[in-house]
Amino acid sequence: MIALYSIWGYYARWTARWPALAAFVPFIPLIAIWAFLAWLEIFPRVFLPGPIDVVEKAWELLYKGILTDYLADSLARLAVGAAAGMAIAIPLGVFVGLNKKAHDFSWPILLFFQAIGDIAWLPILLVWFGFGLTTMTFVIVYTVLFPVVLNTVLGMRSVKPDLRRAAQSLGASPARILFEVTLPGALPNIITGLRNGLGYGWRALIAAEIIVGTSGIGFLMFDARRAGSVEEIVVGMIVLGVLWYIVDSWLLAPIERATGQRWGLVTAR
Amino acid sequence: MSADGVTFSPVPYARTWRALKFMAPLLLLVVLWQVVVTAFDVNPRIFPDVPTVLRAGWSTIEDGSLAAHVGASLWRVSVGTVLAILTAVPLGIAMGVSRGVSDFLTPLFRFFSVLAGIAWIPIATLWFGYGFGAITFVIFNAVFFVVAYNTLLGVSTIPMPLRHAAAALGASRWQTLTEILLPGALPNIVTGIRTGMGFAWRGLIAAEMIATNVGLGYMLFLARDFYRTEVIVFAMIVIGVIWLVLDRFLLAPLERATVERWGLVQQS
Repeated sequence: MIALYSIWGYYARWTARWPALAAFVPFIPLIAIWAFLAWLEIFPRVFLPGPIDVVEKAWELLYKGILTDYLADSLARLAVGAAAGMAIAIPLGVFVGLNKKAHDFSWPILLFFQAIGDIAWLPILLVWFGFGLTTMTFVIVYTVLFPVVLNTVLGMRSVKPDLRRAAQSLGASPARILFEVTLPGALPNIITGLRNGLGYGWRALIAAEIIVGTSGIGFLMFDARRAGSVEEIVVGMIVLGVLWYIVDSWLLAPIERATGQRWGLVTAR
Repeated sequence: MSADGVTFSPVPYARTWRALKFMAPLLLLVVLWQVVVTAFDVNPRIFPDVPTVLRAGWSTIEDGSLAAHVGASLWRVSVGTVLAILTAVPLGIAMGVSRGVSDFLTPLFRFFSVLAGIAWIPIATLWFGYGFGAITFVIFNAVFFVVAYNTLLGVSTIPMPLRHAAAALGASRWQTLTEILLPGALPNIVTGIRTGMGFAWRGLIAAEMIATNVGLGYMLFLARDFYRTEVIVFAMIVIGVIWLVLDRFLLAPLERATVERWGLVQQS
């Protein structure tokens, strides 16, 4: 017990000095428990491989170049889909947010199509486009689109009318009001929508790769499942987790925080 | 939540009117769909017209297969979600009680809530075989980590003075738990449940396409094998309607009610 406390003390001191450590150290006991469980062989090794097996497998996949190729494929799909989704979603959201009639009309439709969910589109997309890149891109665009549109609209509507009126009475043109009042006011919401959309898009990509299955991390995992290689599945899961962790906490979360601090004031009481 | 949460509108039929206004664009969309399909003479294999879809839908209702698929899907979602909530909330609160422990465990939970759902399908099917076990596991996973993480977050955002005040006034540990920690974290817990169920629902559809022989996802995928586009479209509409009803009439009001009732704790 005392040993545990002194370890905790060290941990507290080191993370106070290097906060980045706090993102890595917690995984050490988890991996230790995992290694211990695998070593005990309560579950057969085919079902639960140890960390060392997984690292060896990851090294093998890296060495063969499969992992990097598939990873590049997945990331490229996500990037293309997300960019296209945003390019459609933000103007659409601005239009719907500005226009009361368009909002009343399209809101139920947007909600309904969001509720159908990306993955439910896969079968009909397969009928339309076959097994291929178009299907996957469509799914990701679709997934990214709705959270961004809905959040853009919400953000634009949450900007207080007083602010718009103030700008208007000071002689600002509608375009200036849009670019200097409404859009900055909506920016925190847009970014939140983007973060959610990418989160959903990422999952949709995995599902699409599992089902459509030509290449990518999702394909890697499901192919490994067919071959019964648990190590490869675990490698895939870890890659997915680490990658999204990096994207989310080092890229998206800081952007969200920054815009919240910079522009969030507009909506604050 | 309770009866006093219901607001009675002074305008008669205001709710019906609002529902009609909500339905109108969707009905218009259906009309548009029919017009486009007939005007351009779209191949029914690519996109069927409205009567065909309705007929296909009616036949699945008549032979009871729709009820079986919907029942199986909803049963899996309920079992997975209830199990996840029952385990995630106590765990989240236990972890959130101490600042150090919660800081320590946050990265772990973020990592696993990222993986939530679909990424577990391959390994779940290997562990549990194709069927109920694997799918419920995927749903459990999707909800569990999101709810636990949100509970943790909720507990750690309760202002320390509140806890100190309760302790100074002689609250027992049990009282602190039931009167400070649980109510304070409740808005976050409910938000977590809503987000988690959103992931779970998508995960369910994906898992059912891959790993079972009954359920909405399977219905979709089976129809694809036979190129029965009208069944696909019907199943998509069913999926959309179920989630819309679940989210708008159950989860969103629940979230709003808890935030209104308990959300005060966070404002300070």
